[in-house]
Amino acid sequence: MTGLADTDRISTRNLGSGVVILVAGAAVGLAAFLITVRHGISEWSFAVTFGGLIAIGEMVQFNVYGNRNRAPIATSAALGYAMLRGPALSPPDIAQIITVVGVATMIGVVPRAVAGLQWDVVVSARRVMSVACAAIVFTAVIPVSEGWNGSWRQSMPIILAMLLGVLAAGVTDALIGAGQATERYNRPFPAALRDELVILGQIGMAMGIGAVLLAAGTSLVGLWAPPLVVVPLLLTQFAFRRFASAQRTYRTTVRSMARSTEIAGFSSPGQNARTATLAVAIGNDLGLTPARMEALEYAALLSGVGQLALADPSPGGASLLRTREERQRAAEIGASVIERSGVLDHVAEIVRHSNDPYRHGRANNANIPVESGIVNVALAYEQLVGEGSGQSPDKAMESIGLGIGAEYDPVVVESLRRIVGRGFRF
Amino acid sequence: MALGPRTRILPLAVAATAVAAAVSLVLAIGQTEQPFVVAGFCLLALVASALRSVHTERPVELVSVVLAAVYVVAGPAAAVVVAAVGSLAQARAPIIKRVFNSAQRIVSAAAAAVVYAALNGPVGDEVFHRVPDAIIAVTAATFALLLVNALLLTMILGLERGRHAVAEFLRHVVRTTAVPLLGYGLLGLSMAVIWLGGLNIFAAFLILGPLVVARWALSQYAAERRAQSATLRAFIQLIEVKDLYTRGHSERVSAGVGLLGRQLALSEDRQNALEHAGLLHDVGKVGVPTSIIQKPGRLDDSEMDAIRLHPARGVELIGNIPFLEEVKSAVLHHHEKYDGTGYPAGLSGVNIPYFARIIGIVDAFDCLTSTRSYRPARGVEETLAILEQDKRSHFDPELVDAFVQVIRAQGWQAAEVVQPAPDASVQFSIDHDDLSLGEGGGASGSAAGPG
Repeated sequence: MTGLADTDRISTRNLGSGVVILVAGAAVGLAAFLITVRHGISEWSFAVTFGGLIAIGEMVQFNVYGNRNRAPIATSAALGYAMLRGPALSPPDIAQIITVVGVATMIGVVPRAVAGLQWDVVVSARRVMSVACAAIVFTAVIPVSEGWNGSWRQSMPIILAMLLGVLAAGVTDALIGAGQATERYNRPFPAALRDELVILGQIGMAMGIGAVLLAAGTSLVGLWAPPLVVVPLLLTQFAFRRFASAQRTYRTTVRSMARSTEIAGFSSPGQNARTATLAVAIGNDLGLTPARMEALEYAALLSGVGQLALADPSPGGASLLRTREERQRAAEIGASVIERSGVLDHVAEIVRHSNDPYRHGRANNANIPVESGIVNVALAYEQLVGEGSGQSPDKAMESIGLGIGAEYDPVVVESLRRIVGRGFRF
Repeated sequence: MALGPRTRILPLAVAATAVAAAVSLVLAIGQTEQPFVVAGFCLLALVASALRSVHTERPVELVSVVLAAVYVVAGPAAAVVVAAVGSLAQARAPIIKRVFNSAQRIVSAAAAAVVYAALNGPVGDEVFHRVPDAIIAVTAATFALLLVNALLLTMILGLERGRHAVAEFLRHVVRTTAVPLLGYGLLGLSMAVIWLGGLNIFAAFLILGPLVVARWALSQYAAERRAQSATLRAFIQLIEVKDLYTRGHSERVSAGVGLLGRQLALSEDRQNALEHAGLLHDVGKVGVPTSIIQKPGRLDDSEMDAIRLHPARGVELIGNIPFLEEVKSAVLHHHEKYDGTGYPAGLSGVNIPYFARIIGIVDAFDCLTSTRSYRPARGVEETLAILEQDKRSHFDPELVDAFVQVIRAQGWQAAEVVQPAPDASVQFSIDHDDLSLGEGGGASGSAAGPG
C-alpha cells in the first residue's frame, strides 16, 4: 500500500485544517442543538425517520475514488430532511435540521468506531456544514409557509429551489474538500477543486437527486415516501460500493504484480512502493488529473516489471548499476507487456519512456508524457535515498540537480525540490 | 430430432402472442383517457427503451419503472398503450423477433394492468390517501409483468434453442434480476406521486437521473473487473517468458478449470474465483531463479527446495488482493496429492482445498499434453488414461471422473506445437508439474517428477 491509501489511514490522526472544519462544524451543531433544546422538536416521527436513515447511511459508508469515504444514503437523507415542506407536515426549522443531522451522524459513526472500521470525523463535520448551507438557501427561497399543492406553478419553483439548495451544499463541500486536498497532498487548489467538481457531477448528482426525491415524496405523502424512495438510494449505494470494491481490487492487484520484482530479487523490498509514493507526491504537486494520477502511480509501481524477462537479477536491485541500454530494453519489454493487457495503454507509454534521458526524450518530443519524467526522477531519487543506500536528501538533490536538463526534466526536479523542502520522507 | 416440430411451432407461438397483444391493445386504446399525459409517458417509454439497448441487460428494466408510474397516474389501460409505443424502440433484429418482443411486452403489460385493476389500485390524486393500497397494487402488477414476461421468453427460448437455453435464462437472468425489478416498481410509484404532486413529466428526471448514474457506476465496475483480468493475464504472460515450454500453460489451466467448474455447476462468484486461481497457480515461479527453471538436467536438493517454495511465493504475492479465500488456498495447495505425498503441507484426501484438487488435475493434464524438452506431447486420450490410472493416488477420483467426462464431451485445445521440439541433447530439464516421470506412469513420493 502506498501513497493515497496510506495518507487516508492516518487522516483521522493528522487533521491539519481538518481541526478548523471540525471546530466550525461542532460550533454550528452545538448552537443549533441549544436552540432546538429551547424550542423543542417538532414532528418527532419525521425527525426520527430521517435521523434513522442518516445513521444507517453513515454506518454503511464506503471509500470510492480512492480518496475519501462517501455515504450516499446519509447525505441524501440529510439533504432531504433540510428541504421538507407541506402539506404532509409542518417543516422543521434550520436549527432542528442541523441538530437532527448532527446527532444522527454521531450515532451512525459510533458503531464504525467501535468496530474499528475506517471513518472520518472531518467528513461528518463537512456534512453538517453543507446541509446547513442547503437548508439556509432553500428556506431563503421557499419560506416555511409555502408547500406543495399539486399545481405545476407551485411545484416548479420548489423543485428549482431544492436543486439550488443541493447545489449550494455540493459546492460548499467541494470547496472544503479541495482545500483539504491542497493541504494534505499539496495539490494546487484549482486542480483539487476541479477534481471535486467532477466527483460532484457523478456520485454527487445521484445523492442530490435522491435528496430531492426524498424531500418531494415525503412532503406529498408523509412517511410512506422514505421506504419507496430508498430504492434508488440503495441502488446507487450498491452500484458505487461495487465500483469502489472493484477499484480497490484492481489497485491491490497492480501493487501485488509490482511486488513480483521484489520476490524475484530484481528490486529491494518496498522499492516499488517507495518510488510510487514519491511519484504520486510529485504528481499531486503538479496537479495532474485523477486519471493521470492513477496511471502515474501504476507506471511507477510497474516500471521494473520488464526486468522479469531478463535472465538474472542485478545485486541489490539497483537498476542504476545497469547500462542504459539494458534499462531501456527492460522498460520496452515492460511497456509491451503492460500494453498487452489492453487497458493500461497510458501506463505502458509512461513506462516505455521512463528511462529516457530528458535531453533525448521529452525535450525534443512533446508526445512523451511528463509522467515518464516523473517516474524517471522518482526512480533516481529512491535509488539514492531509499532504504540501504541511505544518502541524505540534500546530497541526493545535489546529484540529481547535476542532471537537470540532460538526464532529468527541470519541471519535475523543481517539483521534487519543493516536496523534499516540505520534509518528504519515505 | 425434436428440432423439427419445435421450429414449426415457433411461428405459431409468435403469431398467437401477437394476436393476444393486438386484442389487448385495441381494448386498452378504447379505455384510455388523458391523451397528453399518455403521450408524455409514451415519450418516456421510448427513451427508457433506447437507454436500455446500450447494455445487454433485461429488456423490461427501465420501462417497468415507467409502466408502474402509468398505472397510478393514467390508469392501467394507458399502460398497455405506453408499453406498445415503448416497444417500438428496439435493437436491430430479424422482423419476427421484433414482432415477438413488441407482442410480449404488450401482453405482459396487459396482464399487469388486469392485476392492478383487479386489486382496485388507486388512479390519479386518490393515491395521496391510499399509499399502502398503491404499494400493494403496484408490486403485484410488477410481479405479474415479470412473470408473464418470463413465461413468454421461456416459451420462445425453449422452442428456438431448447431446454438448455431456458435453464441458462432462468438461472442467470430471472434469478438475478427479479428482486431489483420489484424494487423498480416502487420507484415507478414514487415517480407517480411526484408527477401528481405537480411536477408532471419532470418527475422522470428525478427518477431516471439516479438510475442512469447507478448504471454508469455498474458499468465502471464491470470495466474494472475486466481490467483486472486483462492485467493478470498480461502479467502471467510476462512470467512465462522465462520458460519457453510452459508458455500459455496458466491460460490453458484457467480454461480447463473453467470447463470443470461449469460441469460442477459452481456459483458465478466461485466460477470466477476458480478461473483466477487457475490462472495464478504458478505465479510464485517468479520467485524461482531463472537458472533453475531453465536448467537442463536433474535438479539437486537445494534447487528442488527452491521449486517447492513456489506455491508459498505465489500466496505471498497475491495475498493482498481481495480474492475469495479459496483462491489463495488453491494456489498454496495445488501440488498436494490425494494420498498425502504432495507439498507444501502434505495434506491428503478432502483436507486438500476443493479448488486445489481441481487445479491439480488440470495442471497435470496440461503438462502431459504439452511438449517438454525431454519428451513430446502426449495425446489427449493417452493423458486421460494416465489420470484415470492415478486417480486414487494423486487426485480426487470423483473430480477426475468429472474432468474426463467434460474433456471427452467438449474436447481440449492443447498447447500449440510452435514450442521447440524435444531436444535429444538435453538430458533432463524437468517440469515440476510433470507426472509422467515416476514409476508406473505417475510420480510418487518426491512429488510430480522431481518438481
